[in-house]
Formats: sequence, C-alpha cells, structure tokens
Amino acid sequence: MTTEVGSAAGELRAGAFPEEQVRDRARRGTASVFPPRDGYGQVLFGAGTAPPLEDVLDEARLVPPVFMPERLRKLIDLGREPLYGDVDLTTTIGGFASRLPLFVSAFGSTRAASGEGGVAASTQAARLGIPMVIGENVVPVNGYRQIDAGTGSPLIGRIRAYAESVTGSAGGVVVQNSTEDADAEVWNLVYSDPASEPLLETGRLAFELKVGQGAKPGLGGMTLLDAASAARVAEQYATDPVFGLDGTVLRNSSPGTFTAEILRQQVRLMRNNFPRVRVWVKLHPGRDVHEAARTAWEAGADAVTVDGAEGGTGWAPTAFLDHVGLPLAECLRRIGTPTGCLLATGRVWEGARATKCLALGATAVGLGRAALLAVDTDREAGLVRLVESIALELRLLVSALGKYTVDALDREDLWFPSRTSFSRR
Amino acid sequence: MTPSERFPGAPAQLPVTTREHLTSETTRTVLRIQSRLLTATREFLYGLGFVELLPPIMGPVTDPGTRGSKQVDVDFYGHRYKLMTSAILYKQASLLAFDKIFYIAPNVRLEPTETAVTHRHLAEFHQIDVEIGDGKRADAMRVAEDLVSFVVDSIVRKMPAELELLGRDRDAFAELLRGPFGTMKHADAVADLLGLGHPQNPDAEIDWRGEEILSAKASRPFFVVDYPKGSRGFYDREDEAHPGRLTNFDLLAPEGYGELASGSEREFDYAKLVTRMRETGENPAKYGWYLDLARDGIPASAGFGMGVERLTRYVTGRSAVWQASAFPKLPGVRSP
Repeated sequence: MTTEVGSAAGELRAGAFPEEQVRDRARRGTASVFPPRDGYGQVLFGAGTAPPLEDVLDEARLVPPVFMPERLRKLIDLGREPLYGDVDLTTTIGGFASRLPLFVSAFGSTRAASGEGGVAASTQAARLGIPMVIGENVVPVNGYRQIDAGTGSPLIGRIRAYAESVTGSAGGVVVQNSTEDADAEVWNLVYSDPASEPLLETGRLAFELKVGQGAKPGLGGMTLLDAASAARVAEQYATDPVFGLDGTVLRNSSPGTFTAEILRQQVRLMRNNFPRVRVWVKLHPGRDVHEAARTAWEAGADAVTVDGAEGGTGWAPTAFLDHVGLPLAECLRRIGTPTGCLLATGRVWEGARATKCLALGATAVGLGRAALLAVDTDREAGLVRLVESIALELRLLVSALGKYTVDALDREDLWFPSRTSFSRR
Repeated sequence: MTPSERFPGAPAQLPVTTREHLTSETTRTVLRIQSRLLTATREFLYGLGFVELLPPIMGPVTDPGTRGSKQVDVDFYGHRYKLMTSAILYKQASLLAFDKIFYIAPNVRLEPTETAVTHRHLAEFHQIDVEIGDGKRADAMRVAEDLVSFVVDSIVRKMPAELELLGRDRDAFAELLRGPFGTMKHADAVADLLGLGHPQNPDAEIDWRGEEILSAKASRPFFVVDYPKGSRGFYDREDEAHPGRLTNFDLLAPEGYGELASGSEREFDYAKLVTRMRETGENPAKYGWYLDLARDGIPASAGFGMGVERLTRYVTGRSAVWQASAFPKLPGVRSP
C-alpha cells in the first residue's frame, strides 16, 4: 500500500485501502456502522451488501440417479408410472400438520413487517395450511390490546386473521418471545386470550423461544425509532443515539444469556407452564449450533429452527450482515442427522434451495424476506402464488430424484463440486 | 375420574346472584368456618413466635408464577406495576425485620380459562404466607403439617354443628388427626401416575388431573417433594447434592381435593438467583429492588403459601373452591 501525502484537508489518497469507507466513517461516525438509514422500513436487509459469501447451498447440485428403486415401489403402489403430481408434500412441522414442508418465519417488529403486511401474511399462510411464526417484540413495541383505540393489537390481529382463514387440520401459529417480551408476559397473555382459543382447541398454537437470529448472531433485535416512540418504550428497551441528534435512535433488545442448562430449563418450563402449546426454539448460526439443537430436542422442543447467516429481514450492523455467523449449509452439516424436527431458514425463496435443505436433514424451510416481498407484491394472493410456485418446483425436483415424499430426501441427492468432504456426521 | 365425576352436582358456574350466594345458609356456614380457620391459624402461628405483617398489594414485580397465569398491570404514576400473584419476594425481604413472619395475603392470578373447571382455581384468592428465617424444608413442612392439624382439630372440636349442617363427616379427618402426613417424591408420584395410565411429564409439575388422582387415593394429607427444576419459580432452592432437583414441596389434601399449599427452601444467593431467573426465562433487570437486596444479603429461609379458600373447601367438604369465597371470581367468568 502506498500513501500519497498531501497538505490540505481531503487531499490524502490511500490507493487500494478502502478510503471512501474510512472517510464515510469519519463523516458519519457510529451511523456508518449500519446500512443506509433512508432504506429503513422499505428495504429488507440480511446478508448481501458485501461480496457474497460463497454459498455452498447454491453451489450444490441436486443429482437424480439413473436407477430408482423407490420409483419402482411407487409404480407398484399406483399401478401406473408415477408423475411429479404424485409427490406427497404433506408433513409434520413442529407438531403441526402442514400441507407443505414450508412455513412463514418471523418478521418481528421491524417497520417493513408491521401493519397490513403482517395480517395479509397470516391470512394467506392460513389458506395455504402452513405454519406461521409471529416475531418477538411485537407486544412491548406495539402494545398488546389497545382497547380504547379500538384498533386491536398487531399480535392478536395476526392470530385472529390466521384463525379465521384456516381450514382443515393443517397449519398453526407460533408466537415468539424475547427477553423484553418476557417483561410483557406475551405467552401468558396469548395463552389466556379468547382469540387464541380456536387455535388451542385444535392444537394449532406453539410458542417459540428465540435464542438468536441469523442476521445478527449474538445480538438481540434492533429497530430504529423516532424520538416519541423511543420515549414510549424507554422502560423496556435500551436505546442508543447512533445517528446523532436528529431524534432517531437505535432500539436494542438484549440477546439474552444462554448456557446449556438455561436453554434446557427454559424449554422445560415452557412445557410445564403451557401444556396446550407446542414448543419451538430458534437458534442463531453459532459455532455450537449442533449442541444447542441437541439440548433443545432432549429437553422436549417440538422443533428447532436454525437461521443461517444468510437470514434476516431486520436491521443489522453491516459487520454482522457480512462477517458474522455460519452459513446455513455449515449449520446443517454440523447438526448432521437431526434427532428431532429441524427447520431451516436463510435466503430460501424457491424450490431448489428448499429441496437442498430438506435433503440435508431439515423437515421444512421457512420463508422470511420472500414471504414479506410476496405479500408486498399482492396483499390478497402474493404469498399464495409464491408458495404454489415453490410447491410445484418441490414436486418436480423430488420426483426427479425418484422419491415421492419429502422425508425420503437424503444427502445422497446432493453433489458439492468443491467439497467432496461434505460427508455425513 | 374428572372433577365433575368426583364431585357430582358441582356447579360449573358461579351462583346466579350475589344475594342468593350470601344469604344461603350453606355459604354462611362455610364462611363462619373460614373465619374460625383464620382465628386458629393466627393462634397457632403466634404460639410459635411468628409476627404477622400486612402484605403488600402491588409492586414493580411479583411472583412470575407458572402454568400460564397472567399478571394484572397497574399504572403506578406512569410506571407499570403488578398486583401480587404472591408476595414471595417480600416474604424473603421481610426476614430482614423478623425471623419468622406470616401474612394472610390477597393474590390475583388471571389463570388460563381451562382452570375454571378444575374446581380449585380462583382468579382472586388468599394465602396463609409463612416464611422462616434460617429454616430448612423440613421446618416449613412441619409448620404446614402442624398448622393444618391444629386448624382441623379446632374446627372439629368447636364447630361440630356447622360441619353437620354441611354434611361433612368428621370421620373424614380421623386419619389426619391420628398421625403424621405421608411424603412422596415427585419421581415416585410420576411413576405411580404412569402406572395408572395417566400421561405425566416427568420434567414438569404434577398436572391438575394427576394431582387429583393422587389425592383421591389418599386418606390423609400428604407431601410431594423434590420437584424437578423447570417446574417451579426461580426462588425454590436447587438441591446442591442433587442438581436438577428442588428442595421444595406441595401439600395435597386427600379425597380428591388436591393441592393445599406449596413451599420450599428459598434461594438467597445472588448469583444463583440471577442464573435461575434466566433458567426460568425471566429478565433479571426487572427484579432490581429484590436483586439489590440479595446482592447485599438476605437470610436463608424456607416457607410456604397455603390457600385459605382451598383449605376451607377441604375442611367444609365443598365441591368447588368458589363456594369458600364470599365474592368468588372464577377464571374467565365476569363476576362482582
């Protein structure tokens, strides 16, 4: 590296050194740690602003065999040649019957996900008969039940929208909790709310313990708030004026402290306190993700979601989006053959990536940003159409592999060009 | 047996009117016995040197509770306060003033609506709250056992006419008055229930139905001890010799009446309290005043909370606990 020395301000040049980024930090200080603020609320974040991480899942290829004994079994069963329409996509996701190996993952309280979008996603997920997770921090930020305002709370609004649109026996609603939500006792509120009763009666309610998330492993949720909103939640949240003095603040949830014993006991307490709901656990892509998943299953979790570093709809520091956490493929490799229901999330939006995750041990995959974009495209049926397109691809791909149920998928169905050592654990 | 089978004819709902309830001879007799029960409780505890304190009604935090009961928020000059679901934290703190204390404390718990049919849950109820400085679990169990025996003996001796009017056979208490209560480990209770075909989760609280099955088999009150961590709040002390096990107990009445009291040795070590709070999904930050006290030291202790209405129901042989309240509030039911 060479440095040309000038005398006046702004005349220094730094060659290959990331000069502009340094100058940006010198100008904007702590604000430069985050993606551009003007995109907040309209832009869905998540990894992808820096040179892309080599994505092992994208790189992998689905490799149908020539000889297909399972196709023969299906042929005998049907008495005719099987077609892709014969693939059975129904499955059980974290204790819920589901029409597809897909679920809508949490959007959280971030502005991009609140309001009509959340309700539209609920209605469409219910119509599809697939589970839906409602993110953390919805209650402390938005309030639970604004009786006087007559508007109802976003959380109950989404639960009710789902309950009203769901038919048959498939589907379910999963309500997340964070450390701050524990202050607001979200689960206790939801458990005894009349709006939850139709879901409880049909075994369609789960609570998800959020240990972490893919976009910012090791950190809690973050959103931007204006001064008035920040004052309203001051008792529940830490805020940080990283953008200077214009009133916008960064609102931080605490990530919460976990050890194996803390995770084990929290899962047990959930089962003890809420015997009528299913228990889900969401993990960030930590280096000990396999131990954490095993601990949760052993304690009785009905599902463990692993959110790869590619995941995330919310606001996160650029350093985390680009440099922190294991990619989803590596998480799945470390977990190996799951001993419970494993769910995978992280940049899933079409059938091939979904099929690869299923082949690597996941029971189902979650749609986060893709679901939000779909609902944003068409409030009435955007998500339904997106999911139908993925379902068709799943049928095509699974049948091409000579298989007719999703749980028949296996690592043998994948080939990794640069990683022949991607072996079974 | 479901509660309805066990107690045939038990009203599922509250009385039609407050007037009907309060003017019924049955209600009056039950409440007279309850009054005697409280007098006997005080007599007994004063005799052991306990100091009665008036319980706090609200605070920045309360007992986090278990099994899905909801807390009631109070707007305390712009701060979110809670009505007491139990005064456990204050009981521990009160030992800074006196070695042995008790409250007759009102509690509010918005229990899940499914508890409206257990015949032993009220959204508003009272506890005989006892705490013993430097006490061990055995001390708390002894006080609980002797208290129940004293109270029952007092009522059997002094109110035979009232018991007769209620159709409560005094012989039902013969075993109770004759000898010590039994004790059963949680793990054995689980094994018993599984043996009887009841699907009891071994890591959890004995469920309501399970408690009732065990209670129906018994002819005198008995203790269940050593509940697993993950079934109780952070303040029940973990057994150092048996990690994962709590030095706690429940006292169950016989004849299907179920739980009368819960108690334990208490955790008082600051670092362990914080860790246990995390294990129970609680945010230590909201327990600031309590943890500040604990950091500077609070006494080791053991204690229990005994449900006044539940004890009354058992003694008077009522089919449902609301019959032991002048103004009963069942979970989920709008009432005065």
